[in-house]
Amino acid sequence: MSIAVDHTKQISSTEEISIPLSVPLLEIKDLSISLKGSKGQQRGRLVNAVNLAIRPGEMLGLVGESGSGKSLTASAVLGLLHESMDVSEGQIMFNDKDLISISKKEMRILRGKEITYIFQNYQGSFTPFIKIGKQFIEALRSHGKITRKDAEKKSLMWLERVRLPAERIFNSYPHELSGGQLQRASLAIALMFKPSLIIADEPTTALDVLTGEKILDLLVELQKELNCAVLLISHDLKHVLKRTDSMAVMYGGQIVEKGPTKTLQTNPTHPYTKFLLQARPVLSLEKPGKLAVIPGEPGLIAKQGCAFALRCPKAFEKCGTVPEIRYQENSHGTACHAVDIEGDEKIASS
Amino acid sequence: MFSIIRKRLLQLVFVVFVLSLFTFGLMKLAPGDPVMKILNADEMMVTEADQTKLRSELGFDQPIYVQYGQWILGVFQLDLGKSYMTGKPVINEMAERMPITAQLTAGALLVMVSISVPLGIISARYPGKWPDQISRILALIGASIPSFWLGLMLIYFFSFKLQLLPTTGIGSFSHMILPSFSLGFSLSAVYARLLRAGLLESLSEDYIQAARARGVKEGRILWFHAFRAALLPVITVFGLSIGSMLGGAVVIEILFSWPGLGSMVIDAIFSRDYPIIQGYVLLTGVFVVVVNLLVDLSYYWIDPRIKQKEEGTA
Amino acid sequence: MKTAYALLMRSFFPRFKVKRYKPLALIGFIGLAVIILLTIIGPFIVPNDPLTANMAERLAAPSLSYPLGTDHMGRCIFSRLIIGSQTTLGITAIVVATVILIGIPLGLLSGYIGGRFDSFMMRMADGFIALPEFILAIAIAGFLGPSLFNLMIAVVLVKWISYTRVVRSIVLSEREKEYILAARVGGSSTWKIITKHLLPQVISPVLVLATLDIGKVILIISSLSYLGLGAQPPDPEWGAMLNDGRPYFQTIPELMIYPGMAIFLVVLSCNLIGEGLRDKLDVKSM
Repeated sequence: MSIAVDHTKQISSTEEISIPLSVPLLEIKDLSISLKGSKGQQRGRLVNAVNLAIRPGEMLGLVGESGSGKSLTASAVLGLLHESMDVSEGQIMFNDKDLISISKKEMRILRGKEITYIFQNYQGSFTPFIKIGKQFIEALRSHGKITRKDAEKKSLMWLERVRLPAERIFNSYPHELSGGQLQRASLAIALMFKPSLIIADEPTTALDVLTGEKILDLLVELQKELNCAVLLISHDLKHVLKRTDSMAVMYGGQIVEKGPTKTLQTNPTHPYTKFLLQARPVLSLEKPGKLAVIPGEPGLIAKQGCAFALRCPKAFEKCGTVPEIRYQENSHGTACHAVDIEGDEKIASS
Repeated sequence: MFSIIRKRLLQLVFVVFVLSLFTFGLMKLAPGDPVMKILNADEMMVTEADQTKLRSELGFDQPIYVQYGQWILGVFQLDLGKSYMTGKPVINEMAERMPITAQLTAGALLVMVSISVPLGIISARYPGKWPDQISRILALIGASIPSFWLGLMLIYFFSFKLQLLPTTGIGSFSHMILPSFSLGFSLSAVYARLLRAGLLESLSEDYIQAARARGVKEGRILWFHAFRAALLPVITVFGLSIGSMLGGAVVIEILFSWPGLGSMVIDAIFSRDYPIIQGYVLLTGVFVVVVNLLVDLSYYWIDPRIKQKEEGTA
Repeated sequence: MKTAYALLMRSFFPRFKVKRYKPLALIGFIGLAVIILLTIIGPFIVPNDPLTANMAERLAAPSLSYPLGTDHMGRCIFSRLIIGSQTTLGITAIVVATVILIGIPLGLLSGYIGGRFDSFMMRMADGFIALPEFILAIAIAGFLGPSLFNLMIAVVLVKWISYTRVVRSIVLSEREKEYILAARVGGSSTWKIITKHLLPQVISPVLVLATLDIGKVILIISSLSYLGLGAQPPDPEWGAMLNDGRPYFQTIPELMIYPGMAIFLVVLSCNLIGEGLRDKLDVKSM
């Protein structure tokens, strides 16, 4: 942890950073998630020693291919891990409360009010046989006393704020709405309480490109207005690069690189991040060359040490142990033995 | 919505038609001469003239299709003929006994719901744990035990040995306990399993997770979000098994000497009172179809998506 | 134990794979095997003739010559139980076999030929489904007179539907698969496609369905016999024996406990086996 403290000092001394340097709103410390019964052994670990921090009002992107542990991390924050898994190590600090050790009741009260969630599967965001309006009112009434009438008023107002025909949506069943409408409605139900953290788990993946863009624009707009933090989980680098303040890249349950989005975009250091950026189609005037392909089989995860080792061109014997995150300037950290050595060499030669 | 009602109503008409042909045919095939029966030929002298008179009164001298036509016309006017034994209209006989059977069935349903719902919920909440195992074993026993035997054992223990409850007959609430339990028990275990399976499935749906993420209370999620979808398989099987429940009611009525429709029809079988049997079979068939119509309609209440699908394909 | 279970299951259901070892199903198998064995060797081991009444020894307590005592006519209960299983199991076997022999061909034809024949069959099935098996049995027994044979007709009339439906639904899904199309393009006759390609596909699910049904059939037969609509006295049949014992129930409950227990154990064995097989069959198709 000492390194982390060092780098904050480092940042404060360096150039301008738009993010206010307040205490993190959410801080995930050494979080490991394992299958139950595996007793936290390396083998059964699905998420391994993840560290992440989000400051109030910040938008953090969490990138990785499916199965990299992004969504699991998010579920752990909400306390909604599947029964077959549990948090084997670590803490999730939210406003000085450890979300892992608080009671189920306290967690429920936080959920949906302080921390809200937007699902990838918009069809699963609302119970199919209950009208949208009823589910809004139910959510409002789950978090404190409010009359039915006030709840209805508030729901309608929020449906309007996400630019939906409020009355009609309020009286509709979920299956009567389009994907975009549903995702807007789930945005409304997530923002209604003015939460301090919104977790958006691939909110656009199931939508078409244009609708997805509009939803994200709306999310960013409302986020600014409410000044809440957003954890945007995505496998789509484009969205994350375009909209987030900082980002973290996950592979095989480990965070391989994190830092301000701009830095990562211009100066990625981890081999996996580099591949990700190269494998992205970019619009240009020239006829594009071949897209880079990440070597190896997607989802191939080393059982021990660095998860990416099996696919990494720079892998060497040291990669059999898990690399620690080492920070460079601007809170930009990388977990890679190869990068560490390069860095050490640079320092030595200079 | 209306297309399904229309479809079911057509099926109802069709079923009544098949049933009427079936019972009418069986009646004509049945051994023995009903005229002699009515005239009580075993005990009295019957003249040739009496026979002919009654035969034409009953229309038995007409060709068979005319007889069927007259009979079916009567059926639509709720005229199901007269009992050979008592001479009273069949419809009146049935109306008299219907409340008793209804009471038994309602009692059994009550037993069923009050056992299967808690048991199903507990075993879905703790799958694989001991409440679940117990409900599984209960379901196996329930499906294997003959209801009349269960009834007999219950009478033996609760009426003879402990002298807590009346053996047979109707009247008070305490008379209802043993019969309702005998009829409801085997089904309740089966429904508990169905409800468990349905709940496990619906609790793993995305929308349940979404409701949790909104901070909705667990109890509310269970009752308002999960339970309803879990009812679908239960209700489907209920529609399918309402018939065997009525069948079971016959046995239980005999066992506990309840003068309901079931004991009426068994008496009728042994005294060859064909109009009564005919009326009973028709009534039950219609009832089963109507219940299944209601089951179909309840699907729309449970899951409005079905309506959209139907309309989409229609 | 585990391999014995797998071998047993496989001898009945050729494509059975042991996914999860199910001790309950094994118990069911053993239970049913013992009962079937007793039924077969029954006539050689019974101590007394099940039909011989001996009024001098009526309602006697268990003794060496009457292991379970005697009934109201002085007949040996033990012998009647053992011989009675012939009636119950025999009738059930005949009913289930008949139902399979009717259900499979009708289902194959209905599914493969389709068209008018199919819709006629399905309308018939709809008509019969409204008639609960129990009520149909009552109707038939009521009009044709109570007898075991009429009871069998009634059960067969109701049961064929679900077999035809299952077979039909399998055929409907198999019909469009490549190997059937290939066989058709290759010039195989309809008869050959049905017997060589489709029939083997339906055997296994039908056997599973039959196993699940045996218990129900036994229950129906014994319930109706209890009502006096099935086996007629003096034939020993478990349901009928219960009916016979009814008047003496309060004083000698054993008269009712034994036959009821016998029914319960047989049906339980079948249901235990059924539990082990249930996931082999798509329940929705029933």
